[in-house]
Amino acid sequence: MADNKIYWSGLEELDRTPEFEQLESQEFPAERPVDEFLSDDRLQRANTGRRDFLKFMGFSVTAATLAACETPVVKSIPYTNKPEEITPGVANYYASTHYDGHDFVNVLVKTREGRPIFVKSNTETGYGRVNARVNASVLGLYDSARLQGPQLNGSATTWDALDAAVKSALSGAGRKVLLTGTVMSPSQKQAIAALTTATGVEHVQSDSVSYGAIVEASEKDFGRRVFPSYQFANAKAVVTLNADFLGTWGDNVWYTGEWAKTRRPENGEMGVLHAFESGMSLTGSNADRRTRVKPSQQGNVAAALLNEINGQGHVAGLDEAILAGVKSAAADLKKAGANGLVVAGDNDVATQCIVNAINQALGAVGTTVEYKENAHLFQGDDAAFGQLVADMKAGKVSALLVDGINPAYSGVDAAGFKSGLEKVAFSVSTALFADETASRCTAIAPNHHWLESWNDLQIDPNRIDLVQPTIQPLYDTRHATESLLAWAGQSMDAYTFLRRTHNAAYTSDAMHTDQDWNTGVHNGFLAVAAPEMVAPTYSGTALSGALAAVKGRKGGAFELDLYRKVTMGDGQQAGNPMLQETPDPITKTTWDNYVTMARSDMEAMGLNTYIAEKDPASVVKVTVNGQSLELPAFAQPGQMPGTVGIALGYGRGEGGEAIGKAAFQVGPGGEHLADANGQPVPVGKNAFGLAGMVDGHPANAAYDVSIEATGATHFLACTQLHHTYMGRNSVVKETTLGDYLAEADSKRGEASWNRVIGLNVHDDVNGDGQINALDKKAAGEFDMWHEHAVDGVGHRWGMAIDLTSCIGCSACVTACHIENNVPVVGKDEVLRHRDMHWMRIDRYYASDWDKERGAEEGLGVISTYAKMEEPGANPQTVHMPMMCQHCNHAPCETVCPVAATTHSNEGVNQMTYNRCIGTRYCANNCPFKVRRFNWFHYPGYDKFQNVNPAQDAIQRMVLNPDVVVRSRGVMEKCSLCVQRTQGAKLEAKKAGAPLEDGMAITACAEACPTNAITFGDLNDNSSEVRATYDNNRTYHALEEVGVQPNVAYMTKVRNTPNA
Amino acid sequence: MQQEAAIREPLILGNKSYKDITDDVVGPIQGKAPLGWKILITISSVIAFYGVGCILYLIGTGIGVWGLNKTVGWAWDITNFVWWVGIGHAGTLISAVLLLFRQKWRMAINRSAEAMTIFAVIMAAIFPGIHMGRIWVSYWVLPLPNQFGSLWVNFNSPLLWDVFAISTYFSVSLVFWYIGLIPDFATIRDRMTKPLQKKIYGLLSFGWSGRAKNWTRFEEVSLVLAGIATPLVFSVHSIVSMDFATSVIPGWHTTIFPPYFVSGAVFSGFAMVQTLLLIMRKAMNLENYIHTKHVEYMNIVIIVTGSIVGVAYLTELFISWYSGVEYESYAFINRFSGPYSASYWAMMTCNVISPQLFWFKKIRRSLVATFILSIVVNIGMWFERYVIILTSLHRDYVPSSWSEFNATSIDVGVFIGTLGIFLTLFLLFARFFPVLALNELKTILKSSGEHHKEMQAKSNSNA
Repeated sequence: MADNKIYWSGLEELDRTPEFEQLESQEFPAERPVDEFLSDDRLQRANTGRRDFLKFMGFSVTAATLAACETPVVKSIPYTNKPEEITPGVANYYASTHYDGHDFVNVLVKTREGRPIFVKSNTETGYGRVNARVNASVLGLYDSARLQGPQLNGSATTWDALDAAVKSALSGAGRKVLLTGTVMSPSQKQAIAALTTATGVEHVQSDSVSYGAIVEASEKDFGRRVFPSYQFANAKAVVTLNADFLGTWGDNVWYTGEWAKTRRPENGEMGVLHAFESGMSLTGSNADRRTRVKPSQQGNVAAALLNEINGQGHVAGLDEAILAGVKSAAADLKKAGANGLVVAGDNDVATQCIVNAINQALGAVGTTVEYKENAHLFQGDDAAFGQLVADMKAGKVSALLVDGINPAYSGVDAAGFKSGLEKVAFSVSTALFADETASRCTAIAPNHHWLESWNDLQIDPNRIDLVQPTIQPLYDTRHATESLLAWAGQSMDAYTFLRRTHNAAYTSDAMHTDQDWNTGVHNGFLAVAAPEMVAPTYSGTALSGALAAVKGRKGGAFELDLYRKVTMGDGQQAGNPMLQETPDPITKTTWDNYVTMARSDMEAMGLNTYIAEKDPASVVKVTVNGQSLELPAFAQPGQMPGTVGIALGYGRGEGGEAIGKAAFQVGPGGEHLADANGQPVPVGKNAFGLAGMVDGHPANAAYDVSIEATGATHFLACTQLHHTYMGRNSVVKETTLGDYLAEADSKRGEASWNRVIGLNVHDDVNGDGQINALDKKAAGEFDMWHEHAVDGVGHRWGMAIDLTSCIGCSACVTACHIENNVPVVGKDEVLRHRDMHWMRIDRYYASDWDKERGAEEGLGVISTYAKMEEPGANPQTVHMPMMCQHCNHAPCETVCPVAATTHSNEGVNQMTYNRCIGTRYCANNCPFKVRRFNWFHYPGYDKFQNVNPAQDAIQRMVLNPDVVVRSRGVMEKCSLCVQRTQGAKLEAKKAGAPLEDGMAITACAEACPTNAITFGDLNDNSSEVRATYDNNRTYHALEEVGVQPNVAYMTKVRNTPNA
Repeated sequence: MQQEAAIREPLILGNKSYKDITDDVVGPIQGKAPLGWKILITISSVIAFYGVGCILYLIGTGIGVWGLNKTVGWAWDITNFVWWVGIGHAGTLISAVLLLFRQKWRMAINRSAEAMTIFAVIMAAIFPGIHMGRIWVSYWVLPLPNQFGSLWVNFNSPLLWDVFAISTYFSVSLVFWYIGLIPDFATIRDRMTKPLQKKIYGLLSFGWSGRAKNWTRFEEVSLVLAGIATPLVFSVHSIVSMDFATSVIPGWHTTIFPPYFVSGAVFSGFAMVQTLLLIMRKAMNLENYIHTKHVEYMNIVIIVTGSIVGVAYLTELFISWYSGVEYESYAFINRFSGPYSASYWAMMTCNVISPQLFWFKKIRRSLVATFILSIVVNIGMWFERYVIILTSLHRDYVPSSWSEFNATSIDVGVFIGTLGIFLTLFLLFARFFPVLALNELKTILKSSGEHHKEMQAKSNSNA
């Protein structure tokens, strides 16, 4: 029965005891004597008990410990009035123009929160593509060695005092000279004119690296004193006689991209490049046929070429090998006709006149080479400069104004210039640093950095390129034009003057109303009406004299060629640590210049040819006309025996001038090394002027030099010790244009030059009824792991790198360096093979040996491998950009014990720095060896105080706020610029539209002047990278390892001439 | 009681009684430390402190104080790690595997061999710790629950397997060793006169009373632990070898590695036991317990494992050629003819040729020859790991990244330092712990003691 069921909570309830009944009636069973407790006055008197004491102590200790652990607070202060254009976290880009006397290129400057942090090419409206030097120049803005204000007699002064001093000096008697580099700015030219009118100052232009002979030859042959404009895009055959037009020569920032346009095998034809040079230049390394000649033979090579083409030249002093090269080049030139082009780098009028004759004979004038009346590059006047130095030495110069040039370093007779400068009563320089020249001047009126300036520049008659500031001047500096105006007695700021130059009626009321101007600033240039171009007439009168001049040239036992490195140029950025650490594209050496020599010569002299961590280079003494220089010798494959090469641009700051911390050598502890006088020791040695003046122009070659071993040694820090690819054809694939065209229509993986790598299986794959060596499956079909679901789902970032287009210029290396806050680690660490570059360019030389040849000649396998390690005497070269390949089956991902490196669902191998514990297992297991470990605390450890920008209070402003600065003990590597792809996705999301091809681009792809690097979404079937990926030249490096990278390479096609 | 053939060589020489055994083992602990011991421990602790200094400098400054670089991410660190782990194999093998196989000769050596194992594993464990870029977060390799959500360790990584393998091996070895020590500690406790020492040894002996029940449990636990420890002997080094075998690097990516590493480990472990025991028996007058026969037995193990290792070396070479893989064959050609070929030939000489000398009975039974060869073997085994790690890494797939490795003073200092720490620990062990399993030894005195054998022979001839 249901109602009989009684539940009770205890026996007390069942028994209904009196105690229970009493308790049941109360809601709160035991009444707490709260009032009694609180009213107890002992409570007030009570001391802290033992337990309380322990509690308090425990709390305090914990609190104190926690407080001590807290990271230092860095306050960020919000804008009081937010500038209209600046949104924190969003980058702004401003069109501007870079010109430093050599590299003229239109750029876009990326700024974050008002700080310029990255420079890229303005490909939409601009001209030229940035190179490594332009890329890295943004670092110079923040150089803490920059002058912070005007200086007079070595101490700080005011602008008024400085101007007064300059004006009084200019009012005196004697020769007064304004010495500048090539002035390309119309407004500055006006200011100079005003100064000349007001004070009688003469204007002399001089270039740190003279192109005077080319300009003179143009004048002689075509009647125009200009540096020719070369149109490499029109050139089907290019012959270069020691002109490194892809690296440093002429207007290389323009030539590189233009030349690359002729190098697409998909077009069915390719331009051909012949190089004649003594040392291996970047251009020579990209030549289809490279012939080694001595500097003294260059003129005769030109003469022989001319002879082949129209019989006007002569053949003298050339051996068979060179003549074969000449014949081959001439054949290609003749075939190209008006689309042929010969350029010569030697600053020698005779050679240049013969080259002019060849171009004229080809009919190339007007197609590939133009002599524009208004060309502005390289107007330096060697004769006027020579006269100035002579006058200075004679004490005839009373006042010298120097702008944009540093002749006490780069002058042919720098010592003469320095001694002459002492005799000049008053001198002033507008240098940004107290450099070799400025520190010897009476006064310094520091100019703005180009990123702080307004300016106009004119390289072409039809446009005026604009420079706009991207940051307020960091220091109390003044635009050089403004200084010139002030000294001319006009007080006007540079901006107003600039506007007046282009619109005489300009007043500050019209600052923002001139729509044309605004558009011009936005686009980076003002279009102007170009004067009609009149074709020059060729006189040819100089030819016979030139031929006679070169005919008798003979060299001594050794000849010298002075060249410039792609990284260092003329040395004006010697204090830039990123450039110092960017390996030379050819020698892969950092932080030094050296004497490049042929291995055979070095062996004959008993010099060390193997350079490594514990194997220093032998130091040799190079003597030219009584001047000598001691530098380490470097065995350069492709160097003509009997010749040596030395890079200019090193040895800055020989007097300890403050030109930047990175210009000086640092010891193993990170301190600057000091010489016997306590002066810091410069990086490298200054070779400017070593070849002296020849025929009124600074020569870049000397025909008779002596080399002697000194017995001393010097360590060279190279990032690559091994020079050949050991016949490993799955790393580098290459073919010739002929072979390519024969199978141009084949599917990917089927052509003989890009056959997919098959692995044998124990299965009858080919269906011939037998299981044998013919049964192969493509390496990509083997799968141990589950597929990453990246194909066809969302984005899948990928990259394709065309080895045909890549010239190895290293613009991508510096771009990556700056974009990703990659630390600079200094020479000692590079020497220990610990360079941190996420992106590197592997440079391989061809060897004369392979396994087949070893077998034919009966060599054992060990000896054959040893032979294969040696590059040929004049090897072909491959440049192979290498960075994380973002493998879909990444070996690094499986081995990390803490899953710090994982695959993203967008196909990117990502590195989680704050999870990394630093076992380095991933780096060991990477077949491409692209992972970089933080061996030290680069942003803080003393060893890097003078090299790493992150350790400099001002220079660290260049760091990209989107990329974390890595701490010690973690691994890092290429992220495919994940900050950029994420940014692009956000943009697309905001716009509510799908992400378009080209919105996301990595720093390296953006920087590549030849468009060798394509980046994009592989899942976007219309993307460029998808098309490139499916090209029949495309392959994956080390395909047989089965790591399935998202980065692909395209087989290198050489247009190897048949003859 | 077990009987043993009279013609077998006795395992305990001299006319020893039970008391003699106790006196011989406990005597040195009760007595004052001899001068030689004091000198040795001073030297070894100085070296140990130097090593600790190097390690602190390393941790304070960064891994860059070693000579590693972008291509060679491991060199001396992991070489030392594998070398020490290998050495740590002999002890457990002797005490566990030989126990299961009822090898009585192990009783004289198992205690110190196991101590050596434990100290060697501690030395080994130092290296994976300090080779990390951020040792302060090294606990992240443990699968600990955390507040980061689903953040977990990567069970695919052989390094993680290492963590489990080494820690398991270490804990089991330690327990096994300690269980064996309990009755011996009790013996010491009973003989100690000073109260403090009596107290300490009393605590250490866990109240052992020597009753039959205690002994039964002791035997059972030993057998169970031996059963657990035996597979561990093989698993630890197999897993260590997988750090290399599962990678893609030519010269590492080899299926032969697990057995090859295990035999190499036993090989080097026995060599280290020889080195230590030959000194200890002399210094502590244990010649009657550890004598030529024991040395000979161990030398036989060394020949066998050394030969296995030699066959493995040759197999590797053959397979690299037979595979026809460019990278694989180059890796091995580079090993024996490249810049580090000296290390390769040192390894070949020390590990393959030198142990073959033990085929000669004279050499096998010569204590001096054994001592020298045992050191040679351990040098060879260090080079084996160095060769495997360095020559495979420094020239792998992409020739542009081929580089060199040059050891720095810190590389050397840390290694020498671990030798110092190891020796210090071993000397402390020899001073304060029963270096022989004295109670176990007593069980064979009546079957394998020299006196007993003589009696047996006499009674046999009488009969």
